Amino acid sequence: MAKTPLQFRHNGRDVAIFVDGGTNLLVALRELIGDMTPKFGCGQGGCGTCSVLIDGELHLSCLTLAETVAGRSVETLDGLKEGPNLHPLQRAFADNFAAQCGYCTPGMLMAAKALLDRNPQPSRAEVVEAISGNICRCTGYEPIINAVLAAASGGRARA
Amino acid sequence: MPVTVKTFTSTHDAAAALSSDRSARYLGGGTLVMRALNEGDISISTVVRASDHAMTRIDATGSRITLGAGVTFARILVERDLAFLHAPARSIGGPAVRNMGTVGGNLFAPVPYGDFTVAMLALDATVSVQGGLGGREIALDEFLQSRDRQTGVLVLAISFAKPGSAEAFRYRKIARIKPKGGAVITLAAHLPVNGSRIVGARVALGSMAPTPIRARAAERALEGRSLDASTISAAAAAAVEGTSPGDNALASAWYRREIVGVHLKRLLSGQE
Amino acid sequence: MTRHRGRGIASVNYPIGMNLGGDPSQALVHSNPSGKFTVALSSIDLGQGMKSVTRQICAETLGVPVEDVYVDTADSDTGPHCMGSFASRGTHRVGNAVMAAAREARGVMMEAAAEELEVNAADLETDGRGNIHVKGAPHRSISTKDVAIAAQFKQGKTISGRGIFLVPLSDVDPETGEMSPATCYAHACLVAEVEVDDETGEVDMVRMDSAYELGRALNPRLVEQQLVGGAWMGVSHALYETPEPYYPEPVHGPRDFVEYLMPGPGDICPHDIAVLERPAPDGPFGAKGPGEMCANPVLPAVANAIFNAVGVRIDDLPITPEKVLRAIKAQGGARPQPRR
Ligand SMILES: Cc1cc2nc3c(=O)[nH]c(=O)nc-3n(C[C@H](O)[C@H](O)[C@H](O)COP(=O)(O)OP(=O)(O)OC[C@H]3O[C@@H](n4cnc5c(N)ncnc54)[C@H](O)[C@@H]3O)c2cc1C
Ligand code: FES
Ligand code: FES
Repeated sequence: MAKTPLQFRHNGRDVAIFVDGGTNLLVALRELIGDMTPKFGCGQGGCGTCSVLIDGELHLSCLTLAETVAGRSVETLDGLKEGPNLHPLQRAFADNFAAQCGYCTPGMLMAAKALLDRNPQPSRAEVVEAISGNICRCTGYEPIINAVLAAASGGRARA
Repeated sequence: MPVTVKTFTSTHDAAAALSSDRSARYLGGGTLVMRALNEGDISISTVVRASDHAMTRIDATGSRITLGAGVTFARILVERDLAFLHAPARSIGGPAVRNMGTVGGNLFAPVPYGDFTVAMLALDATVSVQGGLGGREIALDEFLQSRDRQTGVLVLAISFAKPGSAEAFRYRKIARIKPKGGAVITLAAHLPVNGSRIVGARVALGSMAPTPIRARAAERALEGRSLDASTISAAAAAAVEGTSPGDNALASAWYRREIVGVHLKRLLSGQE
Repeated sequence: MTRHRGRGIASVNYPIGMNLGGDPSQALVHSNPSGKFTVALSSIDLGQGMKSVTRQICAETLGVPVEDVYVDTADSDTGPHCMGSFASRGTHRVGNAVMAAAREARGVMMEAAAEELEVNAADLETDGRGNIHVKGAPHRSISTKDVAIAAQFKQGKTISGRGIFLVPLSDVDPETGEMSPATCYAHACLVAEVEVDDETGEVDMVRMDSAYELGRALNPRLVEQQLVGGAWMGVSHALYETPEPYYPEPVHGPRDFVEYLMPGPGDICPHDIAVLERPAPDGPFGAKGPGEMCANPVLPAVANAIFNAVGVRIDDLPITPEKVLRAIKAQGGARPQPRR
């Protein structure tokens, strides 16, 4: 079957690849572009570790037909750091011990970024809602919630 | 296995492609279709898309509201005129699923899904479909009863009358996991009031049958009455009548039958 | 509708590791010519902090900065043998092995330094910042880097050490069957408070208060992380997760993460934790290990709290709303127990 050419912006850089019909964006990112930061957890939409931003909106890359991002902007965890510096969310995750095995972390960070981009001062309930599509097996969520709140308040602890 | 992706600008052509090929599947937000492809579902060999803007239009200005089939839950959540639908829209998935999943796809979503459709059913919605031969309007209730046979059609939009008041429409989803989880059961009620009497009561239930259904016995218990304690008890007692829930990993049929009346009572009496 | 509050308590006495075959773990430590140290293990870090804590143990024992130690757990084929990451044994067993290996490597390092400084090794000490100097004469000093270079290129020595930890076999008393299955025990006590809805059987976690006695907490933040995350998993096992919801019937098993139930970020409750440190005589720097114990007391505490709230005793996990509701109906309604 003929492959389909596909162009989009990947972390601010134009990329062009050829995809099989039905390929999901997660496979396109990992196997065709070589960006291993979005993880494969389930391929069913249930775990959230494949989360990316498409035109600034949180999407599950495993459930996104790759062709639908033609001409759009896709952001992954790989684009989060600013040069050699960690993004404030990454810093806050480290400071708050918000990762253990780290498998959920790429998706958690993207979900948190999607939240803070729109709502820089979220309440705890809003953070809980924002990460509700992402499963963490290790941390019990509390450190992750605290990390996002800490990043939102610029590193200052909040009540 | 690779599939063929066909994108049409006209809904007419998309409908024709769907109706002419049994292995063609329409791709809405893809939250269920892509999962099937990822799992290697060989019954799908063609994926059909329609890029017509009508598919994603929201018309909420008048007394009759129309939602294009491709409208996502996230779009509904930013629409102030649709505030009464924010609870059902917010109850679905996590944020990513709400950014992707559509109103049209929800009509086809199997148990434990279809929460938004429960809300639509309580609002007596009408579905506009485009088949191979032409378009038609079909009551959602009827659409759901024949859902298994609707595979070759394209849903264009869903429309319904705006509830007269905010309190007239109520919604509650019971899930084990918070704030996001698959439904144990879902309930929606539309109780228009004339004077102090309910006229045109609608109660819809999710996960109490293979598709969302109306709780007609409960509707009868409410019809023409005022919403007082005895009416509520009668409706709650009748909630289970006519249902046929199944067992799944979230809850058993027994449990669903036991609690549907409890939750209907709470919904109607405004208890948390 | 009535929601009933209930409180339950559970305590555990938890063995660290096991006794099968002596439960050994090995470690190898060596210095690179740059003066940095590598710890080779095949003990896998699944996120519990094995790498961090063995790095600390190695640095502390060698007397070098923690930045100068790298822990390599990459390969169980090529690494020294380990029984595995389970049974709360990592910090204790692997930590002891690393300590033994680092002690041996330190001996070689001090000999090599002594040769360079032309003194007796017994007169040297490390400053923990990457230098070795003569006791009482800090100016007579050499960096660990220079020692490593000298050992490698001049003295022809490998600065390295081997370590193993093996539990002495415990004989079984033929008369009584008595034996000692473990050499040290950690302890915990947890109080859970729940709210039970007597019309739906739903159980909400209200709060948890716990105390954990786990020897010395070598890395207090990692310990806290384990206890917080582990308690979440305890709640999950108590109330939510199972691959076989209709056990023993193998039907309607969860097909995805919507159906495989685990508490979401909106289901968690405040958890106040007190860590009590009573160093274990045979632990590395007194450590035992939080490990599995961080999840275990939650289950009986929650079951007890449900009993306290509505008077039903569920001994079958997970305690689903259905089980609670059936039991409440079977006894003819909720029977709240005296509030504790
Ligand atoms: C993690 C996760 C959580 C979820 N949580 C919920 C939840 O809480 N509640 C809930 O209700 N659902 C939930 N869902 C299911 C699903 O996301 C929603 O039901 C959503 O509305 C489906 O819409 P879609 O556009 O993504 O469907 P798609 O996957 O695009 O399509 C689903 C089906 O509908 C058909 N279809 C779609 N649009 C049309 C159309 N216009 N005309 C004809 N046929 C069409 C498709 O061919 C397919 O058969 C969840 C899914 C996931 C992965
Ligand atoms: S891999 Fe996409 S949600 Fe799990
Ligand atoms: S840190 Fe392991 S899944 Fe979140």
